[in-house]
Amino acid sequence: MTMAMRTLAIAAAVALASSTALAADVEAGKKKVQEVCAACHGVDGAQPTTPEYPKLAGQYPDYLSKALRDYKSGLRKNPIMAGMAQGLTEKDIENVSLYFYVQPSNLASKY
Amino acid sequence: MKRLLSYAAIAAALSLPQVAAAQTPAPAAPGNAAKGSQKVAMCQGCHGIDGWRTAFPEVYRVPKLSGQNPQYIVLALKEYKNGNRGHPTMKAIAASLSDADMADIAAYFSQTPLTTAAK
Repeated sequence: MTMAMRTLAIAAAVALASSTALAADVEAGKKKVQEVCAACHGVDGAQPTTPEYPKLAGQYPDYLSKALRDYKSGLRKNPIMAGMAQGLTEKDIENVSLYFYVQPSNLASKY
Repeated sequence: MKRLLSYAAIAAALSLPQVAAAQTPAPAAPGNAAKGSQKVAMCQGCHGIDGWRTAFPEVYRVPKLSGQNPQYIVLALKEYKNGNRGHPTMKAIAASLSDADMADIAAYFSQTPLTTAAK
C-alpha cells in the first residue's frame, strides 16, 4: 500500500464516520425538538407559533448552540428559554442545533 | 345572593379588559423597510456576509437575519439594549438605536426573496 493510498483510505474512513455521526445527531435532535422545541418554534423551526419567536430552520448551528448555552447559564435572560435549556445536555444542544440547521429555510445573510 | 352574584359578574366583567391589556403588549409601530435600508451600515459588516464568524468573545457564525420575523428582531435588539443579551458589540450597537430605528431595521431584514433548499 502506497502512502497515497493509505492517506486516501484514512480520509474515506474519516468521511464515512463523520457522515454517520451527522445522521445520528440529526435524528436524535429531531426527537428532542419534538419533545422540547416544536410546541413554540414549529417542528421544523420554520413556523413559530407567534412572530415574536424566531425562525430557527436554516440558522447556523454554532449560533443556535451558543444561544442555548447562554440561556442555560443565564447570560441570555429569558424565563421561557431558561427553563427549556436547563433540560438539555451538551449533546442535546448540538443535536437540536444541527437538526434545525438542515431544515428547509428562507433565512439568509443579507447584503 | 342574587345581588352578590351580579356584583361578582360586574367585577369579573370589569377585570377582563385589564387582564387582556396586561397580557398584550402595546403593538409596536410597523417598521419602514426603505428607511431601514439606510440604517443598516453597521449591521452589514457581519450579518451581510454569509458564514461570517464573530471573533469576540466566542467564535461562532453570526445569525442569518434575512427572512427572520421582524417582531423577533426588535425584541432581540431591545434585549441587547436592556442587558438581557450580552454580546458586547451588539449591546453597543443596540444602545445607539431608537425604537423607530429598531422597527425599520427589522422590517428591512425580514424582507427576503430567498428560499434555500434542505441541506
